[in-house]
Amino acid sequence: MERRDLLRWLARVAGIYAVRGFAPADLLVFGNAVHRGAGSVTTEPGHVERTVLIAAERILPGATEANVGGFIDKMLADWHTPEERGRLLAGLSDLDARCRASAGRDFVDCTEPDQVAVLTSLDNEVTALRAGPGSERANQHWFAMLKFLTVYGWCTSETGMRALGLHPAPWRYDGCAPV
Amino acid sequence: MKSAEFDAIVVGSGMTGGWAAKELTELGLRTLVLEAGRPTLPEQDYVEHTPPWKMPFRGLGDRRAVAARQSIQSRSVSFDELSHVFWTDDVENPYSTPADQPFLWFRARQVGGKSIIWSRQVYRWSDLDFEANQRDGIAVDWPIRYADLAPWYDRVERFIGVSGQAEGLAHLPDGPFLPPMALNCVEQHVQQRMATKFGRQRILTIGRAANLTVQHNGRAPCHYCGPCQRGCITRSYFSSVNATLPAAQATGRLTLRPFSIVHGLITTGNRVTGVRVIDAKTRTERQYTGRVIFLCASALESARILLNSGLANSSDQVGRNIMDHIKWAGASGEFDGWTDRRVIGERPNGIYVPRFRNVTSRFPDFIRGYGFQGEAGRDGWRGALRAPGIGQALKARVTDLGPWSMSFWGFGEMLPRQENRATIHPTLVDAWGIPSLHIDCRWSENELAIHRDMNVTAAELLESAGARSIEPSRSGPSIPGGTNHEMGTARMGRDPKTSVLNKWNQAWDQPNLFVTDGAAMTSSACQNPSLTYMALTARACHYAVEQLKRREL
Repeated sequence: MERRDLLRWLARVAGIYAVRGFAPADLLVFGNAVHRGAGSVTTEPGHVERTVLIAAERILPGATEANVGGFIDKMLADWHTPEERGRLLAGLSDLDARCRASAGRDFVDCTEPDQVAVLTSLDNEVTALRAGPGSERANQHWFAMLKFLTVYGWCTSETGMRALGLHPAPWRYDGCAPV
Repeated sequence: MKSAEFDAIVVGSGMTGGWAAKELTELGLRTLVLEAGRPTLPEQDYVEHTPPWKMPFRGLGDRRAVAARQSIQSRSVSFDELSHVFWTDDVENPYSTPADQPFLWFRARQVGGKSIIWSRQVYRWSDLDFEANQRDGIAVDWPIRYADLAPWYDRVERFIGVSGQAEGLAHLPDGPFLPPMALNCVEQHVQQRMATKFGRQRILTIGRAANLTVQHNGRAPCHYCGPCQRGCITRSYFSSVNATLPAAQATGRLTLRPFSIVHGLITTGNRVTGVRVIDAKTRTERQYTGRVIFLCASALESARILLNSGLANSSDQVGRNIMDHIKWAGASGEFDGWTDRRVIGERPNGIYVPRFRNVTSRFPDFIRGYGFQGEAGRDGWRGALRAPGIGQALKARVTDLGPWSMSFWGFGEMLPRQENRATIHPTLVDAWGIPSLHIDCRWSENELAIHRDMNVTAAELLESAGARSIEPSRSGPSIPGGTNHEMGTARMGRDPKTSVLNKWNQAWDQPNLFVTDGAAMTSSACQNPSLTYMALTARACHYAVEQLKRREL
């Protein structure tokens, strides 16, 4: 997605999904990371980006080290539909609303136990949906999207694949190897 | 008459075109191979070792580009973020189907064709298959029997290299196999339990794969990296690029011309004298002349060329009798135990359960049969992508190997039926102005009965092996074409009134025209068909050259 299109789209989404509490500048930073030359620009991450990075680390410890944020950024910019992106961003806004209601501050400013608590309750909502009829609905939940991107992003990163014992390739087959 | 520019012209450079090129050039013919797509350069185009983190979408594919240009091709099981370049562009290559009956036409246009992206499973047919139509009074009888093809199976297998286990089954004949790939622990267990329960009636063997397990004809053994559909820089699996085309090139008699889309054939009297080609890049037309023509463009493309040329069709059988294999039935189950064992490496092959229905006794629900492919393994992280929990608990689940499970998925025979037919669309053309196909192909009750039975017997096999949580497939039947085993559109037969080709794959109507791809098939059996296409091609080439020498073509 071109930067120009991204700006236009974010402006629209901010209206449609009422992404409360995020200044336009915050919204712009996330989604742009992929367009920055690596290391060429040093900008403080915006609110949405920080929210995603911390949430990803809480979902799967090690996500930050594996640059899962960069993967999520790329997927939101160039893979997901505008509707899906909007749903995820609206969900992040809802995350802050929940945190403000329960702890009086945004997600990024919460204590780690508070962050874990709110993410756990979201995960439980998804699990409940999954137990009901139509698990596709569960996968469409914004938290299920974020969690999938986090887990998939980690497992397909170099760090993750090394940790999983999948990289480097063994160049042989053993169908009954000791664990 | 002006002398021909080439002794032979081969249309297509894939599975069968490569074989025609090799055999014809080695027998002394100056041979032109026409390929509709681009050249394939292994050093540049084979990308099987690219790790996920170097792919923009980590293997999930460029969703928007796929939706725009490859919505049909992307439904192939071996289509992925990198291998997508080996399939055609659906916008440039349209076709139509009835509104209520889709057909998946997977197509490849580059040097190597679909031999780059095939699943490499190779099984001989037997007289159980070659006699089937006659036995059942279905369609027409094959004009050949296993004995006619056996030496050609030998020839093809010796060249391409097939790893597998000899089993001594009359209905799935053995070949000169390279050492088999290994079964993993759970597959060995299931094999033993099946033997106890079913004896020789239902056996489990390692897949017979055109993947090398030892050095063979200058090609290196498989190194178990996994994604064969992205190419193979060590040439360890058979493709025309990896083996037959280099052999043809070595004779000095091969002319390979990519970007050459065959519009139609040119005739004088009952002889085909050449081909009319559109250059894919310049869109200009060219003609090439040859003494003998081999259509190896794939079953539906070859039928399209014949229909667009108005040739070889006095029987009105060209385009008819489309067959595929019905799939998406089977079962999965989990196994307790072996938690201290794991699989290392990516075996490009699974297990095979040869056909057991209607082999020695008659099964009441349907005629013909099916085989199972499958494998056992531990789900690992892929099984944890939607797992509940967050934090260290989720990390533990993601890094855990998970339980062992095994799946069987069936491939069932499809009967030839005249009404399953491709015709030239009255108005639809491809990006080069060549009339496209309208494809109308439906399963009959016999295939649907096979599909139902595959669910039942796959579950039986798992149950016999002591699996738990056995789940039969919830998927309905595959969409016709979806197995990419389309065949039958210019069938061989014994009578020019009811078939397109004689027992040498030679057109009854135009004796110097041969069709040796899947179009030639008179029935579909249930085995993966490429090996039989290759054997038929080699056999037809030798016949054609003998006839040329005797000046009978």
